[in-house]
Amino acid sequence: MNFFKGVIELFSTQKYMFQLLEGLKMTLVISVFAAIIGLFIGVLVAFALITKGNGFSRILRGICKVYITVIRGTPMALQLFIMYYVIFTFRGFPEAVTAIIAFGINSGAYVAENIRGGILSVDIGQTEAGRALGLNSRVTLMKIVVPQAIKNVIPAIGNELIALVKETSIVSMVGMFDLAMAAKIIGSGNNMASYIVPMSVVALFYLAIVYALTFGIKMIERRLRASDKR
Amino acid sequence: MKKLLAIIMAVVLLAGSMVIFSSCSNNEIIVQTNAFFAPFEYYDGTEIKGVDVDVMALVGEKMNKDVKFVNVEFSAIIDNVAAGKVCDCGAAGITITDERKEKVDFSIPYYTSVQYVIFAASDTTVATRKAADGSEYIVWEALSGKTIGTQTDTTGWIYTDGEINAQESNDYGYDGVLYGTNTTLKNFDNAQLAADGIGSNIVDVVIIDQLPAEYIVAKNSGLKCLPLYYSGETEADDAPVEEQYAICVTKGNDKLLKAINEVLTDLMVKGEDGKSEIDKLLMKHMNLE
Repeated sequence: MNFFKGVIELFSTQKYMFQLLEGLKMTLVISVFAAIIGLFIGVLVAFALITKGNGFSRILRGICKVYITVIRGTPMALQLFIMYYVIFTFRGFPEAVTAIIAFGINSGAYVAENIRGGILSVDIGQTEAGRALGLNSRVTLMKIVVPQAIKNVIPAIGNELIALVKETSIVSMVGMFDLAMAAKIIGSGNNMASYIVPMSVVALFYLAIVYALTFGIKMIERRLRASDKR
Repeated sequence: MKKLLAIIMAVVLLAGSMVIFSSCSNNEIIVQTNAFFAPFEYYDGTEIKGVDVDVMALVGEKMNKDVKFVNVEFSAIIDNVAAGKVCDCGAAGITITDERKEKVDFSIPYYTSVQYVIFAASDTTVATRKAADGSEYIVWEALSGKTIGTQTDTTGWIYTDGEINAQESNDYGYDGVLYGTNTTLKNFDNAQLAADGIGSNIVDVVIIDQLPAEYIVAKNSGLKCLPLYYSGETEADDAPVEEQYAICVTKGNDKLLKAINEVLTDLMVKGEDGKSEIDKLLMKHMNLE
C-alpha cells in the first residue's frame, strides 16, 4: 500500500508534477527532432545504398555501409558519450542539440535499413513492368516502386520511432533533464527517497507517448491500405 | 514534398543556430555538479540550488561574471574540470584526495564530512560499538562478508575498494581490513539507488557521506544509519572515516581559485553565535532555519 500512497503523493505535489512535465518536454523535443533528422538521413542513405553504378556512387555506398555498420554495432550510450565528451566539447554548447544530433544519427542508420528493406520487398516484376512500358529507371523507382515500398516500410519505421522515444531516456546519464532524470530527482534523498514510485510513474508517461505514437502510425497505415483488398 | 522538406530543414537549422549563439558567452564561469547531493546541490523545479550554488554565486559576483551550473554524472566532473574545455570548475561536495589533486587544483576545504553506513533497521548482523558518549558507530571489521553498495567514484567507493582489494603484495603496501573476507562491492549511479538495493536485497549495507545518508534514512523508516569508524588498538582509539570537501578548478586557473578561496575564507569566519556563514547556508538548504 506504500506504493499507492507514494503515487498519490507524487501526483499531488506541484513541485514533482512540474519536474515531470519539464522532463516530458525535453524527452519530446529530443525525440521529435531526432526522428526528423533520422528520417532525413535514413532516406538519403537508403537511396544511396540501392543505386547501382560505379565511380562516385560506389564510394558513397561504401561510406553508407560503414556508417550503418558502426552505428548499429555500437551501443547508443557510448555514441552519446562520444558526442558529449569528445565531439561537442564547446563551451556552453546546448546539450539538447548534442543529444538530438546523436540520436538523429543513430536513428538514421536503422531507418535506412528499414527503407532499403521496404524497397527491396517490392516484387522485381513491378520494376520489369515499368521498364517494359518505357519508363526510365528513375521514374520506375520513384513512381512505381517507392509508393508501394512506403506501405511496407511504415510499420518498421513506427517500430524505430518507438524505440527512439524510449532510448532517449539514456540522456539522463549525461545529466540532461528528461523524464528519466525527473524520476531520478523525485526519487532522490531530499525528495521522496525511493526510486520505485517515480520510476513507475515515468514508465506510465513513456507508455502514454508510445501509445499515442502507435495510434498515429496505425492511422497512417489504414489510410495507405485503403486501396488494399486484404 | 521538396518544399516541405526544405522548410523543415530551414527551421531546424535556424532554431539550432539561434540556440547555439544565444547561449555562447565568454563572460561566464561554468560549474559542473551532480545535483543529487542535498543540501550542497539539488534540483528545485528545474533549477539547481544548494550551498555550492550560493558559494559560486558569490564568487561570480566577486569576479563580475555570470555563473552557470551544469548537471553531469559525478564520476565525470574531475575529468571534465581537468580538461577544462567545457567547464572551469566543479562544485559537488568533492572530497580532496591525492589522486584527484594530481588532476585538478582544490580550493581550501569548507566542510568536514564523515562516511556513514546505511543498513536495514531489522538487520541484526551488523555489529555496532558504543562510544564514550553513548552514541553508536560501526567499524570496518563489522562489514566483513557483506555486500556493500556505493556510488561510483565517491569516496565511499574509493575507501571500500581500498579496504577490500588492498594487500601487502600490490601497490597498496598494506592489507585492507576487508581483504580476503569475501566482501563484495557493488557500484550504483547514486546513493539513492544503492539504498533502494537494501530493500530489494541486492546489497546489505550502503556506504555514503553523512548528509545524504541522513536524508535517505529520514524518509525511509526501514533504514538506519551510523557513522563508520576505523578501529584502533583499543576501542577508545577508534577514529571516524573523515574527509574534507572542496571546490576544484582546472589546473592553472589561479585567478578563479584565488577568488573561490577568498569567498570561502570569508564564509568560514565564525560569527558571534559560533556559526559561520557556511553553517547558516547549510541550515537554510536543509530547511532548519
